[in-house]
Amino acid sequence: MTFQQLILSLHQFWARHGCLLVHPYDTEKGAGTFNPATFLRALGPEPWRAAYVEPCRRPTDGRYGENPNRLQHYFQYQVVLKPAPANSQDLYLESLAHLGIDLAQHDIQFVQDDWESPTLGAWGLGWEVRLDGMEITQFTYFQEVGGLEVDPVMVELTYGVERIAMYIQEVDNVFEIRWGDAIRYGELYHDAEVQFSTYNFDASDVDMLFATFTAFEAEGHRLIERDLVLPAYDYCMKISHIFNLIDARGAISVAERTEYIARVRGLARKCAEAYVKQREAKGFPLLALQPSHPTAPKVRKRRKAAVA
Amino acid sequence: MASSTRTKRSQATKRPAPPSRIRHAPFLLELGVEELPATFVKPALTHLVDLAKSFFTEHRLSYASIRSLGTLRRLALIVEQLATHQTPLSSRVLGPPKSAAYDASGQPTQAARGFAQAHGVPVEALQVEETAKGWYLCVVKDDPGQPTLTILREQLPALIQRLSFPKSMRWDASRLRFARPLRWIVALHGTRPIRFTVGEVVSGALTVGHRFWRRSTRVGRQFIEINDPYAYPALMKRAGVIVDPVERESIIRAQLTQLAHRVRGHVLAKHADDLLEQAVSSVEWPQALMGRFDEVYLELPQEVLITSMKEHQGYFSLVGSDERLLPRFIAVTNVKSTKLDLIRKGHERVLAARLNDAKFFFHEDRKCRLEERVERLRGIVFHQKLGSLYEKTIRVKSLVGALTELVGRLDLKERCERAAYLAKADLTTGMVGEFPSLQGIMGREYAREEGEPEDICRALAEHYEPRGPHDPVPENPVGVLLGVADRVDTLTAFFSVGLIPSGSEDPFGLRRTAYGLVRLLCERGLAFDLARLLEQAHHILEAQGYGAENRLEVCKQVRAFVMDRLRFYAQAVRRIREDLIEAVLALGDADSFSLGDLLARMCALQEIAGEPAFDQLLVGFKRAHRIVQKERWTGADVDPSLFEHETERVLYRALDSATRQIDAALEGREYKKALLALLSLKEPIDGFFAGVLVNADDPVIRANRLSLLSAVDRLFGKIADFSRVQSTA
Repeated sequence: MTFQQLILSLHQFWARHGCLLVHPYDTEKGAGTFNPATFLRALGPEPWRAAYVEPCRRPTDGRYGENPNRLQHYFQYQVVLKPAPANSQDLYLESLAHLGIDLAQHDIQFVQDDWESPTLGAWGLGWEVRLDGMEITQFTYFQEVGGLEVDPVMVELTYGVERIAMYIQEVDNVFEIRWGDAIRYGELYHDAEVQFSTYNFDASDVDMLFATFTAFEAEGHRLIERDLVLPAYDYCMKISHIFNLIDARGAISVAERTEYIARVRGLARKCAEAYVKQREAKGFPLLALQPSHPTAPKVRKRRKAAVA
Repeated sequence: MASSTRTKRSQATKRPAPPSRIRHAPFLLELGVEELPATFVKPALTHLVDLAKSFFTEHRLSYASIRSLGTLRRLALIVEQLATHQTPLSSRVLGPPKSAAYDASGQPTQAARGFAQAHGVPVEALQVEETAKGWYLCVVKDDPGQPTLTILREQLPALIQRLSFPKSMRWDASRLRFARPLRWIVALHGTRPIRFTVGEVVSGALTVGHRFWRRSTRVGRQFIEINDPYAYPALMKRAGVIVDPVERESIIRAQLTQLAHRVRGHVLAKHADDLLEQAVSSVEWPQALMGRFDEVYLELPQEVLITSMKEHQGYFSLVGSDERLLPRFIAVTNVKSTKLDLIRKGHERVLAARLNDAKFFFHEDRKCRLEERVERLRGIVFHQKLGSLYEKTIRVKSLVGALTELVGRLDLKERCERAAYLAKADLTTGMVGEFPSLQGIMGREYAREEGEPEDICRALAEHYEPRGPHDPVPENPVGVLLGVADRVDTLTAFFSVGLIPSGSEDPFGLRRTAYGLVRLLCERGLAFDLARLLEQAHHILEAQGYGAENRLEVCKQVRAFVMDRLRFYAQAVRRIREDLIEAVLALGDADSFSLGDLLARMCALQEIAGEPAFDQLLVGFKRAHRIVQKERWTGADVDPSLFEHETERVLYRALDSATRQIDAALEGREYKKALLALLSLKEPIDGFFAGVLVNADDPVIRANRLSLLSAVDRLFGKIADFSRVQSTA
């Protein structure tokens, strides 16, 4: 199974389970959670099911393309289900089976992982799912996002696509993953790893980054004042990434770190609050869609039948 | 809500008949959950048993025994011989005296009617009972109780929701909180399922087996019906779940031994217990497997390998007979697969990636010497109010220098200062960033690579020791002195800016810091005046511009804080009697003693205090002490020419000789010897009180006798405050 087949297969599976296939968001970000399809849609009472691939940037994880497992740019396959169905775990496992992983022949463990994103003012409880010891997915029941309680609870599944591909293709080096039939991951991304590692660790202009952080932060707050929530949230994502770039240069001390994170979170909270207000003003239109999400009720019925 | 409806019902049903015979049947409760954090399982099971015990007692339900079973997916109880009905309760309530209850014509009075009404019975139902005070009205209340089924159905939901966890969550519209989503409940009494609802879950007789039992690509729950609580463990085993944690533990132990034996090694003892507990709670069907890693990684420090395996993956490390690591690991998996090789390969690949990363850090970190890293500590905050770790480094360096003088080890001054300078440098390394628990250890390893003297290298790791209350205290003097200076600086610094632990709040772990300090001082016999070191620490802080105003107060608070830890240590670890600890700590100038000295006094006192002669001595001393106290006598000069009685002379001479012995013994810190010298005063003191009256008519003689007693009191006071010592006789 090539990398692209893997993604196609996940798309197929989750589309079948009522997920909207949305697309990556065109701003640098550290995780698929930042995509408005998760961060904003987690808020408020409206149901939401979506799946998408998200390119993620973690500047400090760069290894100049020399480490077979660490990348400063990689992909997450993100699934969000709200409200969280009672059979989320089973659905997830079924998706692995759909990828051809024989569940009975592998050691699959749900290991406690309390997820927290201080920059997004978000936290949740769940697991990292390990396949034969390798973490392949983050599985989280969101409790709070942007400082607001998540109700109904959204469940977020974040697949580490490269890791799963390495496992399925039995390769030990991420750059050896077959992307399509003839092209490997390294052909597509190795040069980027080398160049961006150099940029992130050595070449970035820290003063420019600090200045940009401040300017973008101000822009975000200014836009919120004008009720331009979505553009403001763009700037929230941007400053989060700039913070990561500054951090990669080791230019932020521990005390300052907390302060910068609090600044990103401050903007994220404002966006969250303003977004909910805007949806509310529209009467939370997706509430009308609720019955069209088929899986949860069906499974609940079966459970009840079995218990009775 | 539930209780109010119940009350109504019991009022409505008039005097239900008690059951003809209460029978007993086993009871099973199983709470099915999505995977709990491994660390929650054991405490949750303990809590569940406690809750059940008080629940059954409260509801008058008799049972023979309760045991808990469980995994991370299920918390279960099996109760043997749970009664099918509450134990009936018959109680008598006394009312007014019979004399006031009936009038002359034998008719009930207002008092009797009121009493009957208050208890909801007709007047005719009132009985009389004879008490010590005569005859009284009484009402007999029979509570026949309810069927257990009713109690369980109504009360179990509340019991389940009382189960508490360190962290809990919501997951559905019921907004129920639990550690992880609750998905099913089995409740059976005998063969009867008990139906109730918790959140969105309806209880019954159906459970689920192992997640991946006999299923490959089929997903969905396969339900198993339980129809007998006693059959539960066996049925679950057939479904791939060993519900008894004790059984899982012994299986894992046996597998570990067997696998290790294959490579003529054994499981590394350190951390093994923690890992075992984690493994027991992480799987439903344990299957240990042994994997290997490339020998090239053995070039990494052992702690790095061990930590990589333990913290990220929960793997057991293996060592050979020479206690050196073997390139092997053991993982405990949750499968009964036929393709262990495939799984093993997976685990090996994961570990290889981890070790590869550790190797990356190990090589990257060494590109920058520790000495150069010290400067980078300027960027790491020790505490907002106390500046950077660089500033702390400079303080500790200067303090440890002062300490070497105080303990008379100037020969170590230079090395201690060097160690202090490098002590925190490893916090800037990638390896410690990845594995915080390796702080100090990486400092030691990198310092060795850089050719620092061995005692300095070791001190870099040792100054964090003892890390836990039961960990050993380091031996290397440089490590010990650095550990003392580091802790004294930390305590003084936090206290000087008012960050003092209160109640259960101790965010900076200062109690642990002080306890480590007490252990270092007591167990390494460091004799010096702690008060002086604290003052020195404060001076150094002031020089950096911190906490300048209240030096005396801060030093006093830190001293009292450390003394409190000493109390705890003496009592809990050295098993010294509380009154003896207080007797020593009450010494007027206890502050200026060294901790080791105080402890030595306590120990000596404890030894002597067990002897019968000591109790008698104590009687005499306390009598003398009381008189001196009562008179507030401060006179000191004893004039032997005023003695009227031989016993005065005997005591005077004995006191003189004991004083000389005691002074010499105290000088040499031989506290037992000093106490034995005190014992020699027993007879002279008793003789004195038998021979003379202190309250002589002649005020001059009286004053002389009081002064003699005062001298006795003062001599005792040199060792401890004996007035606080309790007699054991």
